[in-house]
Amino acid sequence: MNRFIQPYVDNAGEWLPLLLEAMGKTALLSICAFALSLVFGLLLAVCRNTRWRWLERGVALYVATVRGVPLLAILFLLYFGLPGAGVTFDAFTAAVLALALAFAAQVAELFRAGLMAIPAGQREAALAVGFTPYQSFTLIVLPQVVRISIAPLIVTFVSLLKDSSLASLITVDELALTGRAMATEYFLPLQIYVAVGLCYFLIAWPFSLLSKRLAPPAAR
Amino acid sequence: MTELSTFILILEGLLAGAGVTVVVTLVSLLLSVSLGFVLALVRQFGKRRALHALIDLYCEIMRNIPALTHLFILYFGLASIGFRLSSIAAAILGLGLIGGAVTCDLFRAGFAALPKGQAEAALAVGFTPFQTILDILTPQAMRIALPSLGNYAVQLLKDTSIVSAIAAPEIMFYARSMVTSSFQTTLIYTTVALLYLALALPLMQAIRILENRYGRLKA
Repeated sequence: MNRFIQPYVDNAGEWLPLLLEAMGKTALLSICAFALSLVFGLLLAVCRNTRWRWLERGVALYVATVRGVPLLAILFLLYFGLPGAGVTFDAFTAAVLALALAFAAQVAELFRAGLMAIPAGQREAALAVGFTPYQSFTLIVLPQVVRISIAPLIVTFVSLLKDSSLASLITVDELALTGRAMATEYFLPLQIYVAVGLCYFLIAWPFSLLSKRLAPPAAR
Repeated sequence: MTELSTFILILEGLLAGAGVTVVVTLVSLLLSVSLGFVLALVRQFGKRRALHALIDLYCEIMRNIPALTHLFILYFGLASIGFRLSSIAAAILGLGLIGGAVTCDLFRAGFAALPKGQAEAALAVGFTPFQTILDILTPQAMRIALPSLGNYAVQLLKDTSIVSAIAAPEIMFYARSMVTSSFQTTLIYTTVALLYLALALPLMQAIRILENRYGRLKA
């Protein structure tokens, strides 16, 4: 046990700044990707409930495709694959886009479930008392959807945060990649990967606790 | 025409890894479901507080740390202290241990959704507590958990692509090594996406059939 702990004591001064900086990068990557996936997801969910059949079909196809294709394949396709077709992203942008595209499908499903949970009477009543369709959506329906979806959305954020570790495979210098570099440099893979795991845990756990707090009692 | 023959060549190359992908998926699915079921039983019906706390801790650790980090700890970390696992064994163990925590929650949700009267009635007509859990509660909880277990299985199939990072020779591993030798990057990764989709669709279909057959009875 002592032999396991000792390297932490010896190297804390060097490891801590490296890990903290990488945690910042991971957080930035996750927050950018999640914000984008909220926007995409809301758009997809709204398109799923329109009068245009082909739009609905397109969205359904998109969601089904993303459900069946691994994030890693989307990531590699965007980063390594698209340059072949003449489009080049830097690694960070590619990672944000891939995460956002993949998680937008999940977010869309959550919003859709939320939208379906709101009784039609809410919208009808809003229209009847003189709200415009846009107002009745943004002021009456959407706030209720957000309240229902907030706990599962936080769970989705935790998954996204964990999956952001895949960005290390396209050379984004976030936690996982920093861990790999440190493991080769100090040759203490066990201690370093455990430390990396702890860093992820420290970011993710508060959100997991929050999502349990916010979930309605029946779902706990 | 050359495009098509390249595509077929790539597909052939990738199919070499499909077997490992399927085996890793199935074995780790089996491991997760068995582990998750046992954990759920102990957590839901066990009386020992300490054991509950331990299981909760296990689940939190598994769920709040990326699979990639777990795999690195198992594969590179353990090897450094002389406990060497093959890449496929580490992949199965890693995904299985994480899946145990995930499915534990799904099973628990299934048990929690059952009305109290089920257990009370079974006990009242003379079932032992053990029989009550196994014969009365478990089959019903399984039915409730089935759809989310199905989602998890699809997720697991996709997550096996991560184990290419520890050099387990599955689809993504072959794709990455082909890319370095052929530079047909776009075509290779598109084929990869299609191949995973081709594996996932039958799985989704099988789950839908299972759900229709054994799923919760519609009111």
